[in-house]
Amino acid sequence: MEVLNIAGLSKIFGSGRLEVRALEDINLSVAGGDLVALLGPSGSGKTTMLLCASLILEPTRGKIVFDGETIHQQNGWAGVDIRRIRREKMGFIFQSHNLIPFLTARQNVLFPLSLVGIKGEAAEARVKELLEYMEISERADYLPALLSGGEQQRVAIARALANNPRLILADEPTASLDTGRGKRVMELLKKIAKENQSAVIVVTHDVRMIEGFDSVYHLKDGRLNHNH
Amino acid sequence: MDLAVHDMKLHKGRFIATVMGVGLLFTIVLAMNGLYRGNIHEGLAVIKATNPDLWVVERQRGGPFNETSTMPEAYHYSVKAIPGVAQASPFIFYTVERQVGGQSRHFSIIGYDVFDGLGGPQKIHAGRSIARAHYEMVAHDKLGVKLGDQVPLGLHTYTVVGLTREAISPDGEALVYLSLPDAQEVLFQRDNEEIRNQRARLSRSLNKSLSPQAAEKVLPGVQPDTHIINAILVKLRPGADRAAVSRHIESWLYFSTFTTAEETQLMLKGRLAGMTKQLLLFRTLLLIVSVVIISLVIYTFTMEKIRSIAVMKLIGAPNLTIVRLVMEQSMLLTLGAFLFGFLLIHNTYHLFPKTLVLLSGDDFVTFMVALFGGILASVLGLWQALKTQPAMALGG
Repeated sequence: MEVLNIAGLSKIFGSGRLEVRALEDINLSVAGGDLVALLGPSGSGKTTMLLCASLILEPTRGKIVFDGETIHQQNGWAGVDIRRIRREKMGFIFQSHNLIPFLTARQNVLFPLSLVGIKGEAAEARVKELLEYMEISERADYLPALLSGGEQQRVAIARALANNPRLILADEPTASLDTGRGKRVMELLKKIAKENQSAVIVVTHDVRMIEGFDSVYHLKDGRLNHNH
Repeated sequence: MDLAVHDMKLHKGRFIATVMGVGLLFTIVLAMNGLYRGNIHEGLAVIKATNPDLWVVERQRGGPFNETSTMPEAYHYSVKAIPGVAQASPFIFYTVERQVGGQSRHFSIIGYDVFDGLGGPQKIHAGRSIARAHYEMVAHDKLGVKLGDQVPLGLHTYTVVGLTREAISPDGEALVYLSLPDAQEVLFQRDNEEIRNQRARLSRSLNKSLSPQAAEKVLPGVQPDTHIINAILVKLRPGADRAAVSRHIESWLYFSTFTTAEETQLMLKGRLAGMTKQLLLFRTLLLIVSVVIISLVIYTFTMEKIRSIAVMKLIGAPNLTIVRLVMEQSMLLTLGAFLFGFLLIHNTYHLFPKTLVLLSGDDFVTFMVALFGGILASVLGLWQALKTQPAMALGG
């Protein structure tokens, strides 16, 4: 089932002589279980693409349909509660993990559940399940500062999975990890995509990490090319 | 999930230090509340304890406490003769600094008619009232004397026959009650050298117009009068018209009259007003300083969490979650600091040299102002948190 459909999306910053066309006529369709890589050099529009896909940045033109719901029509938002969609149906994985430093690993995973009203035993059971799945349960009560980079990233992935998201957006998830740990994270994302039937979009500049991806897109000067 | 508490736990050292620092400021604010009330309490204590129906003082003067008032002692007989007056007693009040128990002590003396006159101590917790015309005294506990102690004042030594803790002088110093003649003697007693000089000066003046023999005869009659008092305390007969008695005294004896309520107002608007305004200004400044400090601390706390706030927004946290995080920290800081200040002042107020009167009403008002200040203090942090873009969470 199609999770994200982007059609004719453009993002233009500024106007007149100062106009910058960050994204130009982007078309992208991602289904549940798909693992999609978005490659491109610095300044190619990867971050802008990620911001539009995560519904943070409003496109100048184009249509975004998420999980069957029209979020953005040609020239404006469709009036949907975007934050609700992000907290209920999206998961985010960041380059620098971005765990909340004053919460333990367990509490970091619990946080998105609390935002959607899942509390008590149900929430605790889900957190336990995720931390075990990510093989980090023995470090559940540690603050992020006491975890290694790889451990932090696994907690961050567990947090992204907490609400069974339809779409996971990963921004350079292996950039701060060594090659071995980076590969393991990518393996994990593949596993998650297949087992949870979540669509996973990974933004990366590291081509060594994209073996086994269902689709690889290249962004160059704001235009998207589908490689395979 | 209580994010604010989790954050505080991580930074508990800094949180406790800030609570103590701001708490000390609140301690000073609460102490100044107490000082303000204590100032009024002390300033009005003698007036309230004496509480006659009328205070008769020198014309156009707001005496005897707010302003100096002097009048001849004998006029209390004239006042007593006015229809409606049941009792009229001479009253003298002044401040001295003398050696008591080997230490220099600042205190006030009240002289009154000890034989059924008004103006004496109403409640004596040890010993008795003054029963003899001379050389007995009743002292406030603050003077640090015991029953039976001998206290030299001027040429004579006075025996402490009673102790009171009822009234205190408007300066917050101890009160000493003496008989009127004793109080006058202590006040006007001059040393021998000064008496000789005064006599010589008068003698020289009189010799200009009189023979030496005539001047010598006249001299005792022109010595300064020491039968001076500061006020006459009046008790009215039941049913007497206070206004009529006042008019009579003002029109025929050329004195001013005040009720105890008016005397209280004279003090509040006069002698006590400056200190009251000063304390209000200090309290306001300290509260502003407290709010500014809390604002800066909350702003710093918020700025340190700005990336986490961006992450929270990105993963869909509603603004209410962010507002609650910032506001709750501000409130915890404010409440913690106020509680610290409250406990500190309520356990140390007796150590202050001036009387602190701590009223729960004042504590409550200060608490409400602090609470409002805490909310105000979080505005800067809230503004920063709410304008944070979720996009900040992306990138390295």
